[in-house]
Amino acid sequence: MKLSTLLLRIVLACAALMVLLPLLWTLLNAFKTNADLLVNTPKLIFTPVWDNMQYVLGRRSVARALTNSLVICSSAVAMGALLGVPAAYVIARVKNRLTREAQFFALSLRFLPPVAVAIPMMVIWLGLGFYDTRFALIVTYMTITISITVWLSIPAFERVPIAVEEAARVDRLGPYATFFRVALPIARPQILAAIAFSFILVWNEFLLAMMLSTSKARTLPVVASEMSQLGMNVPWGVLNAAVVLLSLPPLILLAVAGAGMNSVFSRKSTQD
Amino acid sequence: MRVGRSLPYVFLGPALLVLVILAAVPTLYAVNLSLQNRTLSAPQAEYVWLANYLKLFSDDRFLNALWVSLKWEVLTVSATMAVGIGLAIAMFEAATRRWRMILSVLFIIPVLLPRVCAAFVWKFSFHPLYGAVTWPVRALTGQTPDVLAHPWGAMLTVAFVDVWQWGLFFAVIILKLMEALPPQPIEAARIDKAKGWEIHRFVTLPMLKLPLISLLLVKAIESLRSFDLVYVMTRGGPGVSTETLDMYAYSQGFIEAGNISYASSMAVIMMVLTVILFTSIWKRLNK
Repeated sequence: MKLSTLLLRIVLACAALMVLLPLLWTLLNAFKTNADLLVNTPKLIFTPVWDNMQYVLGRRSVARALTNSLVICSSAVAMGALLGVPAAYVIARVKNRLTREAQFFALSLRFLPPVAVAIPMMVIWLGLGFYDTRFALIVTYMTITISITVWLSIPAFERVPIAVEEAARVDRLGPYATFFRVALPIARPQILAAIAFSFILVWNEFLLAMMLSTSKARTLPVVASEMSQLGMNVPWGVLNAAVVLLSLPPLILLAVAGAGMNSVFSRKSTQD
Repeated sequence: MRVGRSLPYVFLGPALLVLVILAAVPTLYAVNLSLQNRTLSAPQAEYVWLANYLKLFSDDRFLNALWVSLKWEVLTVSATMAVGIGLAIAMFEAATRRWRMILSVLFIIPVLLPRVCAAFVWKFSFHPLYGAVTWPVRALTGQTPDVLAHPWGAMLTVAFVDVWQWGLFFAVIILKLMEALPPQPIEAARIDKAKGWEIHRFVTLPMLKLPLISLLLVKAIESLRSFDLVYVMTRGGPGVSTETLDMYAYSQGFIEAGNISYASSMAVIMMVLTVILFTSIWKRLNK
């Protein structure tokens, strides 16, 4: 092996460790007592305890936040998929000025700084009496889910060979049947990946959730961040447990949607 | 191709309508708010027109936030691109197919984590008394280094977490881009005995110029979403040294004074800056 290859491999190994070590370390810390955690020399060997997890899972605010997060994210993602996937199909199939503008418009919503959306939204929801409700967060999140679903589903539909759809037409399938029975099934893996990605985005969302809720509609990331303010001392063991629990859904989705994601990226590369 | 007469309207119409409403209403509302003197505590307000905007430009903290945001953008975007390109080349040159797959999955993980989690993971690692990263310093010198208490230290640490999330992810995308390149020019360069770095400097990277610029733009847009990291790790501190625009707008609107209108005028300025800037760049790129 050449020296340069060896050096590059060392660099790659370091990068991989930079991902693995902090995550494994956090996982370990989630099962330490404060006496084992808050020490000068980090401990690798200790008696694991379930206390932190139990504390986090047993808190009523966490149980409520978990329900909120699940309800809000899945509703917003479902609406995003319902409205976004058909829209992406039209943008992929009908090429004219309007659809080009629509495609860019969906992307440009991402240019809006979140705080610039959060402040007026807060006043609007206060005025309408929906502040601190799941409904307010679902509607606000639909901006994110619809636009990202549209944006990521367009390449998925463009990849469906037109010839297949023409064949469906020869077989006397109407335009709607062509979409549901031909285009959608073919593009499904990438569409699912796009939907999974939009779920991760809103699951992780923090600023809007914090500004648009005070107690009833708080989502998990906000509640997790609030745990650092319990009492005088930061309860690091509990925090580590909360971090682990909060990170699980995106990681599970990565595992599930991994194959589909891969094809989204490879498609992107051939297109560019 | 023909997709039927009603289908385009039925499929595209509702989504567009909802998006336009969801985008236009808050935008117009923010502009309207910014022209008043509304606060969270008092419901009645009157129009003060441009007074908020004039006040902003003599507000040292706002100018500081503008400067911090600019530093943040330049720092995170350039570091992310450097890390992404560097690791992608390393994978392209030195990793087998199998290892590329494994590394790709690993490198995608950080960006998928909630930013709140990433912030806590690293905040604890950099903890002066108990952190794992600061441990060697403690063990060797007996001192307790508190990077987050130092203005530049805090900025660089928060930026580091951002690059940890995005730089590794970009490495995966850039690797996929490189793999999709036609192999002939690279082969030709190898036959001409070009060194490894020369191939990338003069062949692959120039061929990827356009997608790389698009990626740079994507990162610039995503870097605007720094709030979660800054909020958890430093709250804008020490002092105001990591107070970005969204952090300052948040503290003006919610924590300190409840100056909703003043915060809105900041939001409007951010909106105008980013939307105009990114739209014009994006349109030019994709012409």
